[in-house]
Amino acid sequence: MPQEPQIAGMSSRRRTVIFWGLVLIFLLVLPSMIFYTTGYRLSFEDDVTSVVTTGGVYISTQSTDVEVYLDEEQIERPRLFRSAYYIQNIDAGLRRVVVQGEGIQTWVKELSVDSHIVTEAAAFNLPTVPRLRPVTQFQTGAGTAVFFSTSTPALLFANATATEAFTVATSSATSSYVENQEYEFVVSLFGTSTATTSSVFADFIRDMDRFRFITPGEISATTSTTTPVIIERNNIRLTTKGLELYAVWQGRAQDVPYYFCVSSTTIASTTERYGVHVAEAVFAQLGTTTATSTLVAVDNRMCRTEIKLDRLRQDVFLYDFFPGSSDLVLVHLEDGLYVTEIDDRAWQNSQLLYPGTDFRTIVENEVIYIQQGTQYFAVIPEIESN
Amino acid sequence: MSEDSHLLPYAKRADFKVARANELTGRDRRLYRFLEIVPGLAAWGTLLGIVWASIYASFFAAYFIIAFAIYWVLKTIFLSYHVRYNWKRLRHHMALDWERLIARFTYDDYYHLVIFPFYEEPQEVIDGALKGLIAANYDPKKLLVVLAAEGRAGADALAKAQLAEAAYGAQFGSFQVTVHPPDVVGEIAGKGSNVHYALRTVHETVIAPRQISHKKILVSIFDVDTVIYPDYFNCLIWHFMTAKNPYKSAFQPVPLFTNNLWEASAISRVMAMSSTFWQMIMQERPDKAATFSSHSVSYQALYEIGYGQANVVSEDSRIYWNLLLANDGYFDVVSLSYPIAMDATTAASTWGTIKNIYKQHRRWTYGVENWCYLVYHFTKHKGIPLRRRWSIALQQGEGYWSLVTNPIMLFILGWTPIFLGSREFHETVLSYELPIMVRNLLTVAMVGLVFSSIISLSLTPPRPEGYSRFRYIVMALQWIMVPITMIVFSAIPGLDAQTRLMLGRYMGFWVTPKRVQ
Repeated sequence: MPQEPQIAGMSSRRRTVIFWGLVLIFLLVLPSMIFYTTGYRLSFEDDVTSVVTTGGVYISTQSTDVEVYLDEEQIERPRLFRSAYYIQNIDAGLRRVVVQGEGIQTWVKELSVDSHIVTEAAAFNLPTVPRLRPVTQFQTGAGTAVFFSTSTPALLFANATATEAFTVATSSATSSYVENQEYEFVVSLFGTSTATTSSVFADFIRDMDRFRFITPGEISATTSTTTPVIIERNNIRLTTKGLELYAVWQGRAQDVPYYFCVSSTTIASTTERYGVHVAEAVFAQLGTTTATSTLVAVDNRMCRTEIKLDRLRQDVFLYDFFPGSSDLVLVHLEDGLYVTEIDDRAWQNSQLLYPGTDFRTIVENEVIYIQQGTQYFAVIPEIESN
Repeated sequence: MSEDSHLLPYAKRADFKVARANELTGRDRRLYRFLEIVPGLAAWGTLLGIVWASIYASFFAAYFIIAFAIYWVLKTIFLSYHVRYNWKRLRHHMALDWERLIARFTYDDYYHLVIFPFYEEPQEVIDGALKGLIAANYDPKKLLVVLAAEGRAGADALAKAQLAEAAYGAQFGSFQVTVHPPDVVGEIAGKGSNVHYALRTVHETVIAPRQISHKKILVSIFDVDTVIYPDYFNCLIWHFMTAKNPYKSAFQPVPLFTNNLWEASAISRVMAMSSTFWQMIMQERPDKAATFSSHSVSYQALYEIGYGQANVVSEDSRIYWNLLLANDGYFDVVSLSYPIAMDATTAASTWGTIKNIYKQHRRWTYGVENWCYLVYHFTKHKGIPLRRRWSIALQQGEGYWSLVTNPIMLFILGWTPIFLGSREFHETVLSYELPIMVRNLLTVAMVGLVFSSIISLSLTPPRPEGYSRFRYIVMALQWIMVPITMIVFSAIPGLDAQTRLMLGRYMGFWVTPKRVQ
């Protein structure tokens, strides 16, 4: 029979050895973790071990049901249905990002990636086939839209899909239906609104006509006597200037969205990294005293305060922010309703939301309404997630 | 012979049992008040400092958080190793035949003075504690039992004590009921003052009349919900007899809060077992420990310091610091690695349980008052080697600081640079990698919870009838609550306690309700 317990308390020596062992691990692990989190990686290319620096790309998407490619290589989907992709370990340089999916338009962007820096972009993908929610005068008791056979809904939905079921009544009797309040609202909107199919530049053109016989040196085109329509959201103002449409930053310099800024300092590098139009916009402003836009330095970057929006060389009948976004602009052009991004790095993606030449558009309460002939619709910009 | 002639020299100081700054005057008062402010200031300074750094020095804050997360993982490994080691030792000790182990010693002339202070606990709790003594593998005639009632609990408490005395009193060497008078000037109502009174009373009524040598009495101060395991006294005697300095040592068992574990809610179980784990860790580093809750110590040692303090909240640890100071910095904690069973904190409702656990942990973490006491006396007591004074002060200070700040830093403030950081920081790889890195490190640290789960199941008492086997699964999975319980029941009550001390809003003793009635 032993005189004492066989397991003694942990010796001080053992504790000390473990403690200093863990201290040693800490001292070894900490620098490597810090190097890793700042973008340093070990490279074993060509049988040569070296330390390389990497950057990252952060892409937010509107849907979780998309495929994201970086330089033709598909990126693994994030966990838990997240609609944001953080792509690590990217060597510095120009990278092509594609966001695509079934039934949606493809978003493509060339982004300049820097070491230690994460380049951000917001992708958007509209449905390839427009999605419409009919707004009819009458509904069934269950809320289903009712078309009368005279209104030829089949024709209206030839190039679109209806997001909600509707019925086509063979009789014009309305006693069994209920009045649709939204319809009344939408009709009144189009009735009282200035939403027309006339150009947003009409006033400017008229002003230009008035000064047709005055030499350009005598008066500037920007001295238009009419005030352009101003639309503002989250400190970004949409406005026309001359025959162009602009997004103008109105907020504090330090809050300016990333796509207003460039991190390169020469016209050549800016052209290479962001495109010639960005380089011209940035460096033209450096050399002019009459520019309405200013350049501000934010965290070692040069930031513009305005970006010209791509109107696809067409006339603009309406512009507004895309519902729920201050980075996307809804523009009604000659051949349809488009959504274009303000971000003009490499290029501006424009996607067709609703085609046509004979409709009117109003955005009200974050809903895009269309009047085509005697019919009214709400345009649904999202696709259904699987 | 003067009244304090039995006291050790340092214990004769007028400020030896100081509890608060306002009990002192002049420079001492200012020093003590400053020390009361330091812990809260350090905690708030750290937490606000991280928020400040996140905004104005985001990169530094991010590096600090990574370093801290790595430190946390390694600390988890370090502490888990201690728990695992002590678990083996605990099980080994529980399996030993201590009666045979102590057969070689002469201990017949030793008495165990067992004090159960109580307030309004139900009769069944008192009965359970006394039955535990009777069921022990030890001669009950060697047990001098004191049931220490609180006068402010009224006649009901006395009636319970008398009922217990009638039922069990005759079986022990002596059984005494003491009633601690309420509203004694200089005391705060609570366990400490009650025990203090009981010790003085039993000295006059039992020890002095029977002329029992103070060196032959081992005092066990037990919370009234303490049910000893059968070999507790045998194990205690073995450790006492083999201790390097038995009269300069306190003997600390492992509290298992298992009396009502099956009835307790998951939150209550996690907190109870977490407290047990912490004590298991301390069992393997006794040089850094102080006494906690139920423990034992020689009567001689207590007599030399005039018993414990009647004016503090955290009396269970303070008694150890009193002993350490009076003995010139040398008073050991001997780990028994043998369990005693106690109650997990519960209430009739979940919200009541949450409130009770919060209040209990606030009281425990108010133990930070001991740090002020220690450092104050370290500036006075030059007899303690300087290095030892610094070592204890820093180690205790770090303990109270980390208790309050670490969980909040880890689970909440770790993310602040991401939300509050500068724009320049937000564009860096570091900003994006930080949450991923911290998440991964915390996941590694959480592996320790699997281990906790296994150990806790092994320490769980057998399933009583009427409880489904499914509850074992719940008991295994309950550990995922740890990140929340660490914040809600450790960090926040700790911060609450330290803030009160900092502001001079001193706490009183809150009695944890035992068993749902």
